[in-house]
Amino acid sequence: MAARLLGRSSRGVFLALVALACVGPVVWVVLSSFKTQSQIFGRGDLLPSPFSLDGYEALFTQIDVTGYLVNTLLYAGGGTAGALAVALLAAYPVARLRFPFRRAVGLLFSAGLAIPIAGLIVPEFVIMRDLGLFDSRAGMVVFYSAMWFPLAFVILRVYLSGLPPSIEEAAALDGARYFQLLRHVILPLARPGLATAGVIIFINVWNDFLFNLLLAPSSEHQNVQVGLALFRGQFTTDIAAILAGTTVMMVIPVAVFVLFQRQVIAGLTAGSSR
Amino acid sequence: MSLAGLQDGARVTPVARAPARRRRPRLEAATPGMGHGVALSLLPAVLLFGAFFLVPLGVVVVTSSSDWGPLGLSFTGLENYRILFADAAFWSALRNTASFAAAAVLIQVPVGVAVAIILSRRIRGWRLLRTIYFLPNIVSGAALALVYVTFYNPRYGLLNQALGTLGLDGTRDWLFDVDTALPAVAATWVFTAGLVIVLVMAEIAAIPEEVYDAARVDGATRWEQTRHITLPLLRNAIGVCVILVLLFTFAYFDGVYIMTGGGPADRTLTLSLYAFQEYSNSNWGYANAVGVLLIALGLVAIVAVRRLFRIGERDF
Repeated sequence: MAARLLGRSSRGVFLALVALACVGPVVWVVLSSFKTQSQIFGRGDLLPSPFSLDGYEALFTQIDVTGYLVNTLLYAGGGTAGALAVALLAAYPVARLRFPFRRAVGLLFSAGLAIPIAGLIVPEFVIMRDLGLFDSRAGMVVFYSAMWFPLAFVILRVYLSGLPPSIEEAAALDGARYFQLLRHVILPLARPGLATAGVIIFINVWNDFLFNLLLAPSSEHQNVQVGLALFRGQFTTDIAAILAGTTVMMVIPVAVFVLFQRQVIAGLTAGSSR
Repeated sequence: MSLAGLQDGARVTPVARAPARRRRPRLEAATPGMGHGVALSLLPAVLLFGAFFLVPLGVVVVTSSSDWGPLGLSFTGLENYRILFADAAFWSALRNTASFAAAAVLIQVPVGVAVAIILSRRIRGWRLLRTIYFLPNIVSGAALALVYVTFYNPRYGLLNQALGTLGLDGTRDWLFDVDTALPAVAATWVFTAGLVIVLVMAEIAAIPEEVYDAARVDGATRWEQTRHITLPLLRNAIGVCVILVLLFTFAYFDGVYIMTGGGPADRTLTLSLYAFQEYSNSNWGYANAVGVLLIALGLVAIVAVRRLFRIGERDF
């Protein structure tokens, strides 16, 4: 009985320590973003008192946070839509139809997930430049669609191959053509799979740092990650503004995750086991 | 994921298991109108994959043996690799990447597996705890880097404040001290095992209850069941996690770029940051030699871990 109690409490301590290491500093930064500069330096309480929006005010007046947020939303929304569209078009035939090199095509796109793209920065830059996509918003949307469609492909292929075979049989009787079938039958059925892949891709594109820095470096094309991280380097004195910026960078993905947690977890499990 | 967080856009990388073929495809592409449709349907994916995966792979390999920059390209054979192997910064980057990889495999994965086993007992609040553990994977690597820049700050950071309150030395500049920079950087992500937790929990949930029946009849304790039944059955999932955390550490960029810039004295330089720095210095061929080694390292890790963990063989 005593041993059991000891086991249970050490288990609790372990879980609490890991939780503290995971989110402790993040929570502290979010709380501190509502402090005044002097409170931050004051080595005082963990909680802000009085509650202050000085940091946020300074942040939004000093730099174009709204512009960064609009860019990020455009990249994440456009990149997700592009990746899903391309992936659905490719995943449907690979999952359910018979055609030459079907297996090879499936393997190829799935292999896209195992290629460490961080090793490809120079060629990605050169290709974007040569295609006229370097340092443009449209270019970033195309790039993110390309970078993320393999993940959506893997998730959608698993999902689509789980649908009953009667779908095509009925459609064939109707004499439906390929894209009619895809548009009116498969697309509605694929919605849960699209949601799963979409949420994961949206969060990842929202959080991208390296490729926005590499491929769209001018200030008016930066996303919120790059814009605010570089802002830190320029204004190291206004700590409250930096903490406010850090909080702004985190808020959307956390909100999306809290709302769509089930999709994220289902998608990760499907995406990684293949 | 940060799904990854797991840092660097946390790419979820699929590895194991051949796709299960449950169903024979029903519709022949040869049906009139279909073949055309299929080809057209695959076209966007083929174009994007070619332009952003296959061509870059070819380019990076070929030009890694060249002197290439904005002004032009000339092939120099294996010169880049010769210089690389005599380059102290490269060895620092390789050593640091190896240290991070070791931290990921020896701390991040075991912590994740332990948490997953505990949460799988459906203890009170397990859902909330899983959300908490996963949050750092949802937050961007850039934001986490800024969080820890503040956390470690010698003047107002929480760490030094806490140490000072405890009467310890609260003045160290953790990220810029050659002795502490590397562990300080590793500590920012090594306990965030959200992805491992989620994947291992899914695997535990898939183990059929009957597997434990005999052990229960024999009166095995819960710890004995975990040790001798659950853990061995997690071989596949743990192997997949090891591959994922290794690929993430090889690509680790955002955190070091923002927190330390690779310093002090290259103590936190990683391979991907080094490739980026060389690209920024217009040494494109040299950056690509680093990139090729990065990719090769990833492939070796995938093959080696798959062998080691016999990924793909099912146990239940």
